[in-house]
Amino acid sequence: MSGLGFLWLILTDALWSAMAALGFAVLFNVPVRTLWGCAMCGATGHAVRTLLMEAGLGIELATLAGATVVGFLGGVFARQWRTPTTTFTVSGAIPMVPGVFAYETMIGLLTIADTSQPVNYDLVAEVIVSAVKTALILGAIAFGIAAPGLLFRRRRAEGGE
Amino acid sequence: MTDAARRADQNANAPLTREALADVIDLALWAGQLLLQHGAEAERVEETLHYMATGLGCEWIDVLVSPNVILVTTSSGVEFRTKVRRVPTLGVDMTRVSAVNRLSRRVVAGELDRATVRAELERISNLKPHYNRWLVVLVVGMACAAFSRLFGADWPAFAVTWLAASAAMFVRQELARREFNPLLVILATAFVAGVFASTAGLPGLSATPRLALAASVLLLVPGVPLINAAEDLIKGYLVIGIVRGMVGILISLCIALGLLLAMRLTGAWL
Repeated sequence: MSGLGFLWLILTDALWSAMAALGFAVLFNVPVRTLWGCAMCGATGHAVRTLLMEAGLGIELATLAGATVVGFLGGVFARQWRTPTTTFTVSGAIPMVPGVFAYETMIGLLTIADTSQPVNYDLVAEVIVSAVKTALILGAIAFGIAAPGLLFRRRRAEGGE
Repeated sequence: MTDAARRADQNANAPLTREALADVIDLALWAGQLLLQHGAEAERVEETLHYMATGLGCEWIDVLVSPNVILVTTSSGVEFRTKVRRVPTLGVDMTRVSAVNRLSRRVVAGELDRATVRAELERISNLKPHYNRWLVVLVVGMACAAFSRLFGADWPAFAVTWLAASAAMFVRQELARREFNPLLVILATAFVAGVFASTAGLPGLSATPRLALAASVLLLVPGVPLINAAEDLIKGYLVIGIVRGMVGILISLCIALGLLLAMRLTGAWL
């Protein structure tokens, strides 16, 4: 791919991710002043993921990296706007949600369950792959956005101060 | 409250009276309820309760955050009090979570007394949503349409997704307002999204109708329960994590069922 085409790919990717994050930020009723930060988190996280996938990394690891960026960026914004990190991380992680994999798992399962057709074993394999991808990507999102807290705030809530 | 009483309140060395403890536990529970109801993770709920109670003069507070119950014991000197509060889950509202979080930081900094905290909690409880419902319909539709582009859909599928997701969001608002069972609302909403999105499969309209269907139900995706579930599990709040995960799975199943009904009805089996 040409350099310009690549740049275009990343830019459009960031733009659509920002729109997706923005929509969900509105749905979650985030404070108006934080909308920009939510869109930024969404765009940056997903663009990082796309960049790494273009570089040949698998979608799970790329998601982990993207979500970690969202986690750290969310932490920075949270201090700047004095708002819980969750505001930014949840909206920012939304564009990475494995919607198509989840959809293919569901529809595949329902197709398999249709007993009027003989069982299609290729489809069974595809459904398993989609289900595992869905679970791994969700896990990667969760670990990624929790990463700053896990790495830099090691203390326990119980016991004395 | 007199100045002397206020000083006594905030002086960590003077134990609180039974009445003061009851007041503190009430305020702390109220704050915790607002957080748990509107989508905060378990650690934040627990942390905020600690800030509130110690900031208002308790020596210590023990908290048990369950999926729909908060149980706390506050202690000061030899006195202690315990209270349980049922917490029905409401929709995600980051503005309220954010407001309670700020309040707890001001409390722990010793800026506020109990009466002010009560007034602030009252104000936060009565906050109106920032965004007009029609704006939400429009923007959520846009978000799902943006998703369809991320998945690689063509422009007709993009337009159909926007329409379908907006229609679904409107139905969701209407059903939620009438207080139907939350899972039933999800199922009906997915059905509406599926019926509208199926039009992308009409001959000559879109080459990627499958992606329109997948994207138009994304407004229902249980992102907050699932992400909170994972975060709670990682941080050791196992019970609440498992329950939230289960809620996420149930929501996903209802989305699938609603879509299935729509696809059977419209004959789109993609």
